[in-house]
Amino acid sequence: MYASVISGGLSGIRSFLTRVEVDISRGLPSFEMVGRLSSEVREARERVKVAMLNCGITIPPSKITVNISPASLHKTGTAYDLPIAIGILSAIGEIPASVLSDIVIIGELGLNGEVRRVSGVLPIISAAKKQGLKQCIVPASNASEAAYVDGIDIIPVSDLDEAVKSLQNSDYLSSLVFSHLSVEDTIKEQRYSLDFSDIAGQEACKRAALIAAAGFHHMLITGPPGSGKTMIAKRMSTIMPPLTPEECLDISTIYSVTGLLNEETPLITKRPFLNPHHTTTRQALAGGGANSRPGLISLAHKGILFMDEFPEFSRECIETLREPLEDKTIQISRMQNTYEYPADIMLIAAANPCPCGYYPDRNLCNCSDSMIARYRSKISGPMKDRIDIIVRAEKTDIDKLSSKKSGPTSLELRSMVMNARFMQEERYKNSDISYNSEISVAMIDEYLPLGVPEKEYMKDIYRNMNLTARSYHKILKVARTIADIENSHYIKIPHLAEAVCYRG
Amino acid sequence: MNQETHRINESFINEERAAAYYLQTVPGMKIRDIRALKNHFGSFVTALSASEKDYPDLISADLIKELKDRLKTGSPFEAYADLLRSDIHYCMEDDPAYPLPLMNIASPPFSLFYKGSLPDPDIPCVAVIGARNCSGYGRQMAREFSRELGLAGIQLISGLAAGVDSIAGSSSITVGGRSFAVLGSGIDICYPSSSKALYDSTPANGGLISEYLPTTPAVGHHFPARNRIISGLADAVLVVEARKKSGTLITVNMALEQGKDVYAIPGRINESLSYGCNMLIRDGAVPALSPFEFVNELLHKIKKCPASFKSSLKDGDINRNNNCDDMFLSSDERIVMSALDCNPRSISEIFLDLPEDSGISLPGLMTLLTNMVMHHKIKCLDSSNYYLE
Repeated sequence: MYASVISGGLSGIRSFLTRVEVDISRGLPSFEMVGRLSSEVREARERVKVAMLNCGITIPPSKITVNISPASLHKTGTAYDLPIAIGILSAIGEIPASVLSDIVIIGELGLNGEVRRVSGVLPIISAAKKQGLKQCIVPASNASEAAYVDGIDIIPVSDLDEAVKSLQNSDYLSSLVFSHLSVEDTIKEQRYSLDFSDIAGQEACKRAALIAAAGFHHMLITGPPGSGKTMIAKRMSTIMPPLTPEECLDISTIYSVTGLLNEETPLITKRPFLNPHHTTTRQALAGGGANSRPGLISLAHKGILFMDEFPEFSRECIETLREPLEDKTIQISRMQNTYEYPADIMLIAAANPCPCGYYPDRNLCNCSDSMIARYRSKISGPMKDRIDIIVRAEKTDIDKLSSKKSGPTSLELRSMVMNARFMQEERYKNSDISYNSEISVAMIDEYLPLGVPEKEYMKDIYRNMNLTARSYHKILKVARTIADIENSHYIKIPHLAEAVCYRG
Repeated sequence: MNQETHRINESFINEERAAAYYLQTVPGMKIRDIRALKNHFGSFVTALSASEKDYPDLISADLIKELKDRLKTGSPFEAYADLLRSDIHYCMEDDPAYPLPLMNIASPPFSLFYKGSLPDPDIPCVAVIGARNCSGYGRQMAREFSRELGLAGIQLISGLAAGVDSIAGSSSITVGGRSFAVLGSGIDICYPSSSKALYDSTPANGGLISEYLPTTPAVGHHFPARNRIISGLADAVLVVEARKKSGTLITVNMALEQGKDVYAIPGRINESLSYGCNMLIRDGAVPALSPFEFVNELLHKIKKCPASFKSSLKDGDINRNNNCDDMFLSSDERIVMSALDCNPRSISEIFLDLPEDSGISLPGLMTLLTNMVMHHKIKCLDSSNYYLE
């Protein structure tokens, strides 16, 4: 006899709905599973058999065939345990087929019949909802995660018994329904322990951080050891605008697929801040591997990737960054598939100016010119081209630490960033970019027009400071962000003059 | 002597030079071997053509065999002809062209290769030396002193190194002075590559000099050795900037051993690059307090007549950008200037140093800095560090 259960699978971070078909017929007892399954899916056989046994369910010896379709797509993960068990029970008549037609079921089974959490629940339930399914059965510890998807009933179950009971008894099922959670509400409760006003001095860096956050420009901070580069980078998240619900779900999907969500953190509500050590491998950064796991770059999606000691990263790691910085996605090829993971990150790199770190202070720096040039060349030209803001951090003197000039708080800075973001939203609402940093060369005339005195000024600058076309373009973009921060509709000369200071 | 004798002497010298050069190129042939041959045979040419049994015992049989084998493969004068075709001149000990001052130093070079000419012994020659990683101050001083020397017709000699050496050389050439550079490599190799322009222009405006065979690479231990030639050919040595422990000070020691006068430009005592100079002054070097005074004093001490003496500067007046351009600075720019010095400072540093009541905001400061750089009132390094020239 035949039964079919709707479930879900993952390909990269995309989810697709699957159909778990179970057929029980007469013949020599066997349990076959087909459908291009990876080893952990095949192991479901053992888990399902034992779990059912331990729940007091006995299946007469029969020829059981399980197919997970579409059979050509690769299936991974342990979420098929529960649907297979349900399918078997339906095939022998314990669960009516009508109940299974509109419900998606996922969950891992323990040998004792417990239903355990799986990763990727968020994208799978979202896909189910898009397909018009009305209900889903998920492991209890995944309930909060699934609850953020509106428009589909979430039925959490903690063991096989509960799952079977809910499918046999619709009142029981209704009693289990988990109330939805609102993404907006969860995001609202944002609290940060770090603040920009913690940092003494470093006014230029704070200003640069403000500009970077406002226009989503990539930034490089250079300076001697102990000059506070890391402190500044860590506080960048505190001045970025709060996540929109879409961004929140996007990020949470990536974390869900990577298995990083749990009961306490069913949703990622803060912008990611990732700080990989410079010995990180290219694969850890880009993703890939046996299960096409998203890399650190994708985990920093819509957030900040902070690479301290930037020149110490391997060449390949630095080159790996090029694609995400350019396209905002990263491609991972694996056997027959190419996965495209989101990678819309803001890069903050920190570097020493030379191997000893003290250049250009001749009293402390003894590096030869060739050593300095070699150290600098580790950041290739094309990579530097993608970094719009380069700023210098200074080692603060002890007396300057108690300087009277107090800096702005993160809250003040954040409101300035939001203001600038709002102006950008208005400006780009009819185009497919969102930030000033995304303006391509072709868009300059449209979005970065200059008045006559400003054009003359830029000509002077171009000539006297030996600019290249790339640096000219960068200065205009940064000037546009500065103008936004200063609430100016037009780019004026002071904005250009300031932008020049960040060209590096 | 009459023309005929002169011509015979000319061709004789050239043959001797060719033979000496050839001997230098024989692998395994040391300078002492060549000197021994000269002593034994009286002439390099004879040393080449002698039969094996005539060679002195000092020369090993293997070496003699090597020499004879080589001679079989071609004319010994071919190599020298190649040298001349590349505009490379050669002179060795006992050569009329060999500079007299070098004959009296400890371990004089056996031979010299040069492009252009050697310093004129009848005109004063000053060695200008200093740190490779010199500061803006060092750069400025090297430039101004060398210009003054060049304008006064005094020859300048240095290395080709980055920093003080190359700045001195190019500054002298710019004002039409004679500049000489002694290399730590073969004459055909430009090291460091950053000095290529100077390497190319020096032969026409003085000369490039090397004691090493062409194609010899620049190796660490060549540099102290070539410094003895720099100080050897000079009448006086001017130290522009030097750290407490530096190669420059080694050159100074050689100069002292050779009995040359040492001058040093003093600097701020908290600048490590000026420590060496200040130390030399403490220990007896003459402080050089202005290019004009320096040149004046030199000309009094060195009893030679320079070709000309025209100075571009009035007495005691050093060209300082901020003095000249004072009238073109706005009051805000003046405030910013006062927070700068010859050491590059970052924007944050400068901002903290502005007086409380200046009223200059951070973006305002950046605008001022950019404008001042654009109008060449100040300089910037990597566009995030600003300093005065």
